[in-house]
Amino acid sequence: MIPRTSHIILVAAAVLLTLLLAGEAVDPVLYAAENISTAAHADPSTIEKRSPGDAASVIPLMDELLGHTGTLALTIKIKDYESAQRDLARYSELTSQFDRLVVTLDLSETDIAEFQKNNRQNQEAMAALLNDSQRLDELQSLEIEVLDGDQRMAVVYEGEALRQKMRETYTAYAKREPETTRIATHYGANATPYQESVEVIAEVAGAAEDWQADAPRSPLNISVTPREGRYGENLSIGGRYADGVPGTPLTIYVDSRIAGNTTLDENAAYAYPYRIGRILAGPHLVYATAGAIFSEVATFDVLPAETNISLAIAEVNRTAVACTGNLTTEDGRPVQEAPVLLRLDGETLISTQTDGNGTYARTLILTGGEHTVRAEFNAAGYPLNSSRSGVVSIQVRGEGLSPFPFIAAIAAALGAGWYIRRRGLPPEPPVPEEPDIEPPPEIAETGPSVEIEGLPPRDAATILFRALRERLGIPATKTPRECARLAPDHAAFFERYERIRYAGETPTDEELRAMEREALGRAD
Amino acid sequence: MQRETRVVLLVLLLAGGALYLHTTTTTEEFSRHNIGWNGTSSLPAEEVRDLSRLDPGSTLLVLAPDRPFTPEEVGYLRAFLDGGGRVIIADEEGAANPLLADLGSEIRVRPGNLSSLERDYAHPGLFRGYVVGNDTLFAGVETVLLNRPAEVEGGEPLIETSVLTWDDVDADGRVGEGETFGRSVVCAREGNLIVLGDTSLFINAMLPENPKFIENLQPVQIDAVHSRTGSRNPIINTLAWIAERPLAVAAMAALIILPVAWRFGRKRE
Amino acid sequence: MAGAKKYHAAAVLAVWLLIVTFFMILNRTLDLEVFFVLSLIGLLVVAVLIDGAFSRPRYMRYLGYVIIVEVAIFAYIVAEKILEIIAA
Repeated sequence: MIPRTSHIILVAAAVLLTLLLAGEAVDPVLYAAENISTAAHADPSTIEKRSPGDAASVIPLMDELLGHTGTLALTIKIKDYESAQRDLARYSELTSQFDRLVVTLDLSETDIAEFQKNNRQNQEAMAALLNDSQRLDELQSLEIEVLDGDQRMAVVYEGEALRQKMRETYTAYAKREPETTRIATHYGANATPYQESVEVIAEVAGAAEDWQADAPRSPLNISVTPREGRYGENLSIGGRYADGVPGTPLTIYVDSRIAGNTTLDENAAYAYPYRIGRILAGPHLVYATAGAIFSEVATFDVLPAETNISLAIAEVNRTAVACTGNLTTEDGRPVQEAPVLLRLDGETLISTQTDGNGTYARTLILTGGEHTVRAEFNAAGYPLNSSRSGVVSIQVRGEGLSPFPFIAAIAAALGAGWYIRRRGLPPEPPVPEEPDIEPPPEIAETGPSVEIEGLPPRDAATILFRALRERLGIPATKTPRECARLAPDHAAFFERYERIRYAGETPTDEELRAMEREALGRAD
Repeated sequence: MQRETRVVLLVLLLAGGALYLHTTTTTEEFSRHNIGWNGTSSLPAEEVRDLSRLDPGSTLLVLAPDRPFTPEEVGYLRAFLDGGGRVIIADEEGAANPLLADLGSEIRVRPGNLSSLERDYAHPGLFRGYVVGNDTLFAGVETVLLNRPAEVEGGEPLIETSVLTWDDVDADGRVGEGETFGRSVVCAREGNLIVLGDTSLFINAMLPENPKFIENLQPVQIDAVHSRTGSRNPIINTLAWIAERPLAVAAMAALIILPVAWRFGRKRE
Repeated sequence: MAGAKKYHAAAVLAVWLLIVTFFMILNRTLDLEVFFVLSLIGLLVVAVLIDGAFSRPRYMRYLGYVIIVEVAIFAYIVAEKILEIIAA
């Protein structure tokens, strides 16, 4: 093949193009209209749609929560405790839904989070009021039955304790009302049922007051020092039991839940160290019981504190990374056993927990590429403010090149090669190499005579060609051109025959005779 | 030879078409000659260059103004407004505030990064505003898809966002320190003057999202001198200049036709 | 013209690639893998159509090699996509 300039240019261009394309092969999508935007606007046809689902339910949920406070307050007032319990269950369900919404929509630094905190406190207050109201009713009916002096005093003391509790609960509830209403009306939620509920609760607490206008003070007194504290600090709950016997067991209740047990010492006094852990910020109630005798109710305040959370990411192997960090308050106190959320790529939330030292560790398995992780602490149920770490981005190497595609490619190449060879579109070595493989053709001295009389000239030429081909020992599948190459001595014959056969030329008689001589090997 | 000539002609035709497209269009934002997603080539409007000769009672759109208005032009606009014409100023950057002050209006455009939590798209700046006022421009329209709008202060509110919208100052896509939720007004009216805080409503990619609004807009004229609908490309400007003057068009036509006619029209000797 | 069939085949392949490119630009996505697969389809169709039963012109010989290489790359792309789908 004579290399012509155009061929060379073509081959060079093809090689250059293949190299360029191979360079891009690692990232085959050369250009995609994805998220095209400028400072002034974004192209909506390239931005994916998503359902607004979550965000649209925030305000209706706020409405529902406020509505529930109204109905709960009314059911407590009319002493329909069964439906009040059902209402309360529904209310807590909605509250958890709202909590989850605040977390997924990342609203922790807005006033919606304030509303969420207040709502949680309202829910606990409602639960406490319901239980206290119910217990107070039981005591009222008990008082009528009991005639024994001691037992009567126990009932009186317990009733007094409940009254105080309800009064404190109401005060705190009313204090939360202006802020909550302000936030609710800012977002267009209906706060009227909530405002009415405050008045109803006032009536309920007032009704409790009326029952025992002047009750003697309980002999078991209680006080909290200091009166306020922050997360992790210790408060001392103590007092004296005037008629107490040393060694009597006492149970300390915080917010109507058992906080611990202690015993009276020789001076009929007791002290219990209480560590502020997972309780909400704000006012709390504490009282003690010695057997059936209830103490008075004391209050203490829990102040909110700021927290700091840190995040560090280390690569474990090609697909996994380990996220660790510390969660501490401003004063350096570790926050123990607290839930920490890791927000992956701004969307997925993975939960983990801190241990006794406030440290958390979690291994994540990620796909290859860039990812961003951020640690968040939501402070739900803690007297702490939520905090979030900075965004840490990591490059995950991802699984290495697996051998499977290469095996597939080699298998496909072999399969295609076999199929093409079978079909006869063969990538056989090109013709010029053939003389090595072919045995040298035998040249017979003279060939058999052939009859060409009476045939049309072109058919005669065909018979002569076949005779010469046979005489030279060339296989019958070879074309005239190939024969010419194989037997250069007779190239002229074969080329002439090729023109006769394929170009439609007609041999003259003289030519035919010359060809006959050559075909039959007669020297002349 | 015939076949090769045909192929060459075909390739030349394709190349010529590509060249034509390349020289007569541009990628500048808001340009009437930009056929891409951020141009205004599909907006059906007429361009006016002379503010003194406006039809009384028609609608004039000033789209993303970037040139200051001279006192005479302000005077013409004032006269146009008083004569019953409607002026719509669409501006996202606050460049129209001097004009609004000169026109004696209290409306101002406050540029910012309004983002909304209640949205249909993954981008926080792409959300729906609700029509709250009464205006023929928004007759039959309940929501308008906004594309990174700016807040508009003053005047009578026509379009308001939802309450879960905030000005994302630190552009982190969420409500952080110092950012609060609240309703914002993105379109306000004062008499016949309407100020729209979102210029993106008129680009090619956004026209199919608010079809009724664009329909209510018709017929509209665009102030070509002050809006950003022109182009800096000299070829396009030259072609546009020629197209506007019938004498120049006739001259061009004569320049092309006469030699051809002379070449083929001569009596064969 | 010598080898008219060869030129016709090359022209058809070029037109097919131009059509593919046109639609990719219209869709505003230029993906090399998609382009490669579609060009392979074009090449295979053209090779089958111009293949004669009785002769094996020079250009058909080398086409065999090209087809084998392209099929190998195609198999690689398919295997990669399968892995991606399984991993997801």
